[in-house]
Amino acid sequence: MGDLFQFSSSTSLSKLTGRRAHNLEELLELAKTCSDSSIFFHTFSAFRKMREVQVPYNNDFAIWISQNLAEEALSEKLTAIELAEHNTIAGLRKRIVTIIEDYKKEASEAFERTAVKPFYLCDAVRIVYLTDKFAYNLKSFREALDSISVDSIYYHFIESRLQTHQSTDDFSLWIEESLDMPQLAAKIRNIDMHIYTLEGLRRKIAALIDSHI
Amino acid sequence: MTLPSLFDYRDVVGKNVVEELTILASYVGNRSIKMVNSTAVGGGVAEMLHRVVPLLNELGIQTTWEVIKGEPDFFDITKSFHNALQGKQEHFSKETLDTYLHYNELNNKDMTFDEDLIVIHDPQPAALIHWNPKRKNKWVWRCHIDLSHPNQQLWRFLQTYIEQYDAAIFSSPLFSPELAIPQYQFYPTIDPLADKNKELDTDYIDQVLEKYGIPRDKPLVTQISRYDPWKDPVGVIQAYQLARKYVDCRLLLVGDKAADDPEAEKILQTVKETAGNDPDIHIIYLTKSIASEINAFQRASDVVLQKSLREGFALTVSEALWKRRPVIGSAVGGIPAQIIHGYTGVLVHSVEGASLQIRGLLNQPDFAAKLGENGHQRVKDEFLITQNLKRYLLLLLAVERPDESSILLE
Repeated sequence: MGDLFQFSSSTSLSKLTGRRAHNLEELLELAKTCSDSSIFFHTFSAFRKMREVQVPYNNDFAIWISQNLAEEALSEKLTAIELAEHNTIAGLRKRIVTIIEDYKKEASEAFERTAVKPFYLCDAVRIVYLTDKFAYNLKSFREALDSISVDSIYYHFIESRLQTHQSTDDFSLWIEESLDMPQLAAKIRNIDMHIYTLEGLRRKIAALIDSHI
Repeated sequence: MTLPSLFDYRDVVGKNVVEELTILASYVGNRSIKMVNSTAVGGGVAEMLHRVVPLLNELGIQTTWEVIKGEPDFFDITKSFHNALQGKQEHFSKETLDTYLHYNELNNKDMTFDEDLIVIHDPQPAALIHWNPKRKNKWVWRCHIDLSHPNQQLWRFLQTYIEQYDAAIFSSPLFSPELAIPQYQFYPTIDPLADKNKELDTDYIDQVLEKYGIPRDKPLVTQISRYDPWKDPVGVIQAYQLARKYVDCRLLLVGDKAADDPEAEKILQTVKETAGNDPDIHIIYLTKSIASEINAFQRASDVVLQKSLREGFALTVSEALWKRRPVIGSAVGGIPAQIIHGYTGVLVHSVEGASLQIRGLLNQPDFAAKLGENGHQRVKDEFLITQNLKRYLLLLLAVERPDESSILLE
């Protein structure tokens, strides 16, 4: 029997800051100076919502730049940021700022244009909580997987790395370390989260476990 | 009629969503809320409180709701406040402002505020906080109206009271002013089990359309909105007329009006003149709408329009999206929060744009269905009453920890 896995879940309460950007210069300033929780709101939190409706962006900066400034190249560069590769907000902020600053060097004229609509900087209070769902082996994990919420799946597969500072998701880490099933863990770890909704992600993980059992 | 219980929402939002609400409520623990507003019936706020208050109680949060009292002169003043805060130019005399404060003071004498969280809705009771300077609980002002361009004289007067609160809540970043207190965002929400949104039998939908003489022989394009220039019913007809050259369809306009509103009569006349004698345009004018019939019109539609020129939050969009309808909405007010262009609906900026989208959606039923499905999911994630319950639970946790951006509950 492996270590007990207690499922957590996360949610957030949106806050308004009153700060806004009307062009790329101002957006860059916001990205540099806003709180860590604002960066979290516009990336990790935004991605969770966009994933469910299959919007092909993973952060609010990219979608605003595309829809309000039509700077598609910059939007694509920001969308290409793999959130899963970031286990600190500081690292993620640095990446966002570097991309925008690099773009300024190649397309400075884009920074002089005013956007159709302003970017409203928001913030969030993030709340993480333990649920009453447990797993103690692969069978019980598989059973729990059907009944946990998509918020719980999102937390363990994507967001928790901000807390654990690990470079992988909680599920594959537990399956590898506590259940000693490195092959199954590797398959779960390598799922491309950009092509699934969270329900799709649940089904994919379940299918991998079913084929393993 | 028995109101739905929390248990009943499991079938529409999912069992695990309701379970997590109860888990969050257990972390909140033994807390109490008092909601205060100015009317027990009529209007979106009262409608929302009728549902949210019992459901919060069911979650174990002792929640009460009190309505402030006043004579007609008070409500005349607060009605003019409402219009001025949304931008109408008007000067308020000292006497008017003193009358407003007088009624707030009178109400304060009749009320107690012993709960952990006091939520004051809208401007009418906003000054109550002034007579509670030694409070130990948390007070939050929930603003349901658009404060992006308020009458400056009135706003300066109210701001001194608002900034005594521990926090304020707005429906959108577009609607909020600069304030020295924390601001939270609560989207307005719809109730999936209300008559306006619940599932309907196809027989009932057929009956409603038959009652109003609308044949089911062609695709149906619908806008449900008050007959008001800001809802642009004339623009809707023009968009339909442009699209009609390329795609066969019917247009259904459904709207009610405020009693004795001469403006509504005038716009209705213009709408009829623009429609001419086209038998495929159906103009339904209700003095009082029946929620289940509005529901039937939305469910019978192949495309739903909300082509407003100016909007509040426009929850009619969420109502249609919840029914998996493809929606064409103007990029104004709260509509872009609900419609992510090309994914959960389409946004337009002109009559021509609306016309092109009508043609596109009627000719691409797979794409239209995909928008409807994504739109349904977007509403499920953000704009259902269960989300509103969750936000109140999170608010109870957050206002007690104003300096924390991350809360771990174990």
